[in-house]
Amino acid sequence: MKKLLFSLLALQVALLAPLQAYVNDALSFAHEAVDPYAKKGFTVRQDAWGGDLGVKDQQALTAQLFKGNEYWFCLGTAVKNATVTLHIYDSQGKLAESESWQKGRFAGARINPTKTGTYYAIVTVEKSPQERTGWAVVYAYK
Amino acid sequence: MTKIIPLAAAALTLAMACNALAQSPPANVDLTKFPAKEVDDVMVPVPSEIFAVLDKLGTPNWRAELRKPGSKTTGSRAQVALLLGTVIAEGFIAVEAEDSAQVKEIGREVLTLAVAIGVHKAVIARSKSITEKAEAKEWKKVRQEFDGALQDVRGAMQELGDDDLAQLVSVGGWVRGTEVLTSIVGKNYSADGAELLYQPDLLDYFGRKLDKIKTTRLGKDDLVVKTRKTLAGIRPLIGKEDGTKISAASVERIHQLAKELVASITSPAP
Repeated sequence: MKKLLFSLLALQVALLAPLQAYVNDALSFAHEAVDPYAKKGFTVRQDAWGGDLGVKDQQALTAQLFKGNEYWFCLGTAVKNATVTLHIYDSQGKLAESESWQKGRFAGARINPTKTGTYYAIVTVEKSPQERTGWAVVYAYK
Repeated sequence: MTKIIPLAAAALTLAMACNALAQSPPANVDLTKFPAKEVDDVMVPVPSEIFAVLDKLGTPNWRAELRKPGSKTTGSRAQVALLLGTVIAEGFIAVEAEDSAQVKEIGREVLTLAVAIGVHKAVIARSKSITEKAEAKEWKKVRQEFDGALQDVRGAMQELGDDDLAQLVSVGGWVRGTEVLTSIVGKNYSADGAELLYQPDLLDYFGRKLDKIKTTRLGKDDLVVKTRKTLAGIRPLIGKEDGTKISAASVERIHQLAKELVASITSPAP
């Protein structure tokens, strides 16, 4: 997993600039996806996670969630006409989300954990006009 | 950063209402299919995620949990980084206590510590915003500012190529948050409250990060060594499997370990 950084050392910038640009662009879409939940009383984390994936590639993000809270995980990509999905599984690999939605470059999943522990938000690039698709995930809780 | 397009927002709202159109995800996945490196990192929660649950379980006396402000800014870089984490965690506690004066004091303290470690540029605006929002009693926004300050400090350290130091900030916050969590749960034990301590992968993650720097100068810092030992001491107490009940005795022991470590972190350097 590539933790988002908004600036890097000069050398790193030279090496990673294309990926960083993907992810920074994707972040604004992830925030757009989570924004409706902020208006419903959820607190949006200021941290974010991102990277880039090929078509049909998946990435699992490990999250520590707490029973008693409700969470929305939202995914976005800046790639037009891409389709991305996000679903949440428990530590046994069982689908754990209460609901989810998908619309092109946006996706979201809600979870009310039935127990405190580790969960996995699985990001998939279902289709994309580009070889690599930058993505970003943010989450909100209440 | 790409600008938000109003039409896209409307389309998004429509999408949320059209769940039925979404393809059903598989009911089960084989997590072993995911390469280790891809599940090696953990989304580290902020203390307020746990505090929110404690608020739902009862009415904790948050003011009683607050420490007196006035951290020492001297000490090794490791100590200042750990201290920054504990002070930011303190900010979340002050928000729960809805104590404007304390929140403002902590906001200033974050800035002072950030100056001491050379990452103040990243948090000047945050510190100002914490003060303004605390005066306005906009608690949700203050909470987000502390979260933002944490990310800004860590980001600035990473920018300086100091990922390990950034990790210590997260660990410091976790330890202080755990001290408070165990204090509250210990005062009115319940299985649901104790279950909040079930964080094995997060602890393993911190353990791996601290083990990785074991042989470096930073890793040999007395406080980092103590932190590593404390986390290793806590790990067996939080349960090995989902559903393992965490006893009142374990809660008390974790509290003692966390409290001792926080006391070391907040003590003046020898």
